Amino acid sequence: MDTETRNLRKEISEKLKDETLRGALGRFSEVYPGARLKAYENAGDIETLREAVRQMKIDTVLRIEEVADRFEAEATKRGVKVFRAKTGDDVKTYLVDLCKEKGVQKIVKSKSMASEEIELSKHMEAAGITITETDLGEWIVALAGQKPSHMVMPAIHLSRFQVAEYFSKELKTEIKPDIAFMVQAARKELREKFLQADMGISGANFGIAENGAIGLVTNEGNARMVTTLPRIQVALVGYEKLIPTIKDAAKILKVLPRNATAQLMTSYMTMVSGPTPAMVKRNGKWVEEEREMHIILLDNGRLRAAHDDKFKEIYQCVRCASCLNVCPVYTLIGGHVYGHIYAGGIGAILTAFLSGMGEFEQFHELCIGCRRCTTICPGKIDIPGLIEELRIRKVQEKGLPFVIQKAFDHVISNRKLFHSLLRLAAIGQKPFQEGRLIRHLPLFLAGMAKDRSLPAVAAVPLRDRIAKIAKKIAKPDKRVAFFSGCTIDFVFPETGESVFKVLEDLNMEVLFPEGQSCCGKPVIALGDVETTKKIARENIRALDEMNPDVIIAACPTCTESLQHYAELLREDPEWGPKAEAMAKKVREFCSFVAEEYGKRGRLTKTGGGPKVTYHDSCHMKRVLGIEKEPRQLLEAAGCELVEMKDADKCCGMSGIFGVKYAELSMPILEQKIANIRNTGAEIAACACSGCMVQIQGGLDKQLPGVRMKHVADILAEKIKD
Amino acid sequence: MRKTCEHWKQHFPAGKFGAHLFPEFEMRTKAVSSELFRVPKASDAAAILMGLIDATGTKKAVVVESPLLEAAGITAALRSRGVTVYTEAADIAAHADTADIGISGVEFGIAETGSVFQDGYDIATRLVTILPPLHVVFLQSSHIVPGIVEAFDIISPGFDRGYVGFITGPSRTADIERVLTIGVHGPSRFAIIAVDEEPKGGAA
Repeated sequence: MDTETRNLRKEISEKLKDETLRGALGRFSEVYPGARLKAYENAGDIETLREAVRQMKIDTVLRIEEVADRFEAEATKRGVKVFRAKTGDDVKTYLVDLCKEKGVQKIVKSKSMASEEIELSKHMEAAGITITETDLGEWIVALAGQKPSHMVMPAIHLSRFQVAEYFSKELKTEIKPDIAFMVQAARKELREKFLQADMGISGANFGIAENGAIGLVTNEGNARMVTTLPRIQVALVGYEKLIPTIKDAAKILKVLPRNATAQLMTSYMTMVSGPTPAMVKRNGKWVEEEREMHIILLDNGRLRAAHDDKFKEIYQCVRCASCLNVCPVYTLIGGHVYGHIYAGGIGAILTAFLSGMGEFEQFHELCIGCRRCTTICPGKIDIPGLIEELRIRKVQEKGLPFVIQKAFDHVISNRKLFHSLLRLAAIGQKPFQEGRLIRHLPLFLAGMAKDRSLPAVAAVPLRDRIAKIAKKIAKPDKRVAFFSGCTIDFVFPETGESVFKVLEDLNMEVLFPEGQSCCGKPVIALGDVETTKKIARENIRALDEMNPDVIIAACPTCTESLQHYAELLREDPEWGPKAEAMAKKVREFCSFVAEEYGKRGRLTKTGGGPKVTYHDSCHMKRVLGIEKEPRQLLEAAGCELVEMKDADKCCGMSGIFGVKYAELSMPILEQKIANIRNTGAEIAACACSGCMVQIQGGLDKQLPGVRMKHVADILAEKIKD
Repeated sequence: MRKTCEHWKQHFPAGKFGAHLFPEFEMRTKAVSSELFRVPKASDAAAILMGLIDATGTKKAVVVESPLLEAAGITAALRSRGVTVYTEAADIAAHADTADIGISGVEFGIAETGSVFQDGYDIATRLVTILPPLHVVFLQSSHIVPGIVEAFDIISPGFDRGYVGFITGPSRTADIERVLTIGVHGPSRFAIIAVDEEPKGGAA
C-alpha cells in the first residue's frame, strides 16, 4: 500500500456513504454484544476464562524461542518439514521452489491471515501457479479484487447483489442474488478445485509445541478439505499462534468461537500432528500414501514484538476480531480504511509491527480510546494503551508535525500564554456566539457545527470567579484542592462553581491552585511525552503549594492524567516521588462525594425530582471503574433515574478526534442523542467535561428540550445558598 | 484402521462422563442443527438409518465401520435396500464425492457444545465425513463428557500424532450478508444416531 497517495478523509467519507456497509455493520454491532453474552451462558466465569488465555499466552511469549524450538522438534520428529521464515519473501521463495520441485500446479487455500499479510496469492499466481481461496468470504473478496474488511467476516461490506455480480462474472453464467443458491454454486465450483489440487495451504488457529500439532477452527469445512484431499499439505503459522501444551488449546477453544461468532463451537475443529495418509491416484488406481506435510513458521516482525516489553502483548491476540465488533469507529466505516488486512485497533497495532510505522501513521487517530474493546478481548489486550505507546514512539522517532510541536512547545506548555489565548478566544468567537453556544461557523468550518453546536469560551473563566465563590470555612473537615481542567475553567465555569458549592456544603475548604494548567491529556494523546512531563511538573508544583488533604478533579480524564504522573515521572529522581505522593491524594469528584454523602447518611434515594438519564463516560467507567456512584448521587438528589440504551458507549468526542474527524464523530453522537431521546428524560447527566461539550452540542441541535448537566450541577441545585 | 489412539475410552475421566449428560448434549447439538436419534439397542439403529435413506432417495453410501456400526449391521441393511455401499479406502476415494451419504463412528460427545469427537487419522474416515451431502455418525449414548476442558483431558494423553477433531453440526457459513446458510463445503445435513446398548468387546 502506497502510504503517500492515500487520502484517509476521502476514504472515510466514501465509507460513510456506503449504505450496504453501514447497514450491515450497524445491524451486526447491535446484535453482537447480546449474542456473545448468550454464548457464554454455559461457559463459566468469563473473566476467569479470559485470564486463563492471558496467562497462558504471557507464559508463552516470555519463552517464545524455547516453545518454537520444541514445536519444531516435535513436528520434525513426526515427519513434518518445518521451515522458519523471517519474512514474507522467504515464505514465497520456499513455496515456489517446493511447487517446482513437486510439480504442483494447483493450490487450494483455507483461511490464513498470515498469507494475506504477505500477499501470498498474488505472488503464487505471478509464478504461474493457480491458487484458490476456498473460504467463501475470502473467495468473494478475491473475486471482487478487494481485501477483507473484517478478520472473521471478510465480505461483510458486500450485499448479495454485489456478490451475485462477482459470481456471474467468474462462473460466466447468470447467478441470481439468492444466498442459498449462491452458496451452492460456490460449493460446486470450489469442490472441483479441492479434488484437483496438488497442494493445500492452511493457516492455524494454534500450534501446539507438545506434539507439533496445528489446530484449525472453521465453519465451512474447507480447512478439513485442504488438510485431507491434496497430496501435499502446508500450514503457515505465525509465532504468536504457538501454545505450549495440548490442554492449552482448550483455553483458546472456550473463548474463540464464543467471542468471534457467538458460537459455542464452530462446525469443525481439527487438529493435525504429523503427516497423515492421503489417497493418490496412481496408474488409474487409488492408493494410500503418506502425505507430505510442511509447516512454515512466520516471523515477519513477530519476534521483534515478542522481545518488546510492551508489544509482546500482541501475542495475547487469538484473532477473534471481537474488538472490531464493539469499536464505535470500525462499526461505522469497516476495515478497508485501516490500510492493510488487519482492521480496527488491534489491526493498527499489528500493521505497525508487521508493515511498519508508515502505515500506522495513516490511521492511528481512528482509535478514540473509548476502551470498549478492552472489556471483551479474550486475551485482555490493552489495545488503546498500545496505540498510545505507538504514538509516543512515533513522536520519538519522527517528531510531531511542525505546527503542533510549536503549539505544544510555546502555547500549551506555557500556561500563561495558553490561558491568555483562551481569553482572547472568548472575544474572537463573539460574532458566532448565541448565548453560550456557537451554532454556526463560516465556510470550511461549517461542518464542525452542522449537527452539533460548539461550546463558547466563557466570558469569565472559573479562575476569575474564585474570589467571589470561595468560602472561608472555620474548621474544615478536609482541605480540598480543585483541579478544574481547562474545560471546566474556561467553558463550564458554572460547573466549577457547583463543585465548590457541593464540597463546601460538606464542610470542606476548597482551594483553587492558580498555577494549574492543562492536565496534559491532549498532548500525551499525540504521543509527546516530553511536553507532558513539563506540564506534569508545573501542575504538581501548583498543587503541592496548597498542601491539600485531597485533590479533586470533576473530569475522569483529568483524574486519570494526574494519577498517571507517577508513572510518567517514575525515573525522575526529584519529581518521581512528588508525583507518587500527589497521585495518592487525587480523587474523582463523584466517587469522593458519594463516599462523603454515605458517611453522613445522605446517599439515599429521595425522589420528587426530574427524570434524568446518565451517560457513562468511557474513561469514567473503564479506566476509573466508577459507574455506581454518580447514579447514587443523582438519586440522592431526588432525580428519577432512567437508563438509556448503551449508556457506556462513547459519545464520539474523544478529545481532538471529535473535531478533526467530525464526520465520524457525528453518527456516533446521533446514536447517543437517539438513546437519550428514547428515555424521555428531561436532563442528560454525566460527570465528564469532554462528554458535556459533545452531548450538549448534540442536544442543542437535535433535541433542544433536553439539557445537559454535570452531576455536580444537579447536586448543587439541591443545596440552599 | 489407522487410529490416533487405539483406546480413547481408557482416558475418559472417571466419574465425569455418562448418559446423564445426554439431555444437555441433545439440547446443544439440536441447537446447531444436528439431527439426533437415540435408540436403546444397536439393532434399532438400522431402522433409523433406513428412514433417512428412504427420505433422501439414497443410492450410494460410503461407510467406515466401527464396533457400533458392525453391531447394528449397517452395511448389510443398506445393501438389502439396494444401496451400493463402499467400505474400502480405494473405493471410498473414488466414490465419496458422488455418494449420497457418508457413515462413520465417533468416540464421544461434548455436552457443553453439542460437538462429537472423531479420530480421523484414517483417510477413509475423513473422506466419508466431509464429502457427501449427508453425514451420519454413530455414538455411544454413555460416551458424553461435560465440556471442552474434559474433552481435552481425554485428547491430551491420546493425541501424540494423527488427526482428530470436533464436529458440531453441518457445514455452515454466514459470509453473505451474515445470513446463516447450511452446507458450504462439507455436509448440509449432519445426523447422530446414539445407541444406549454397549457393543460386545467394549471398544468405542
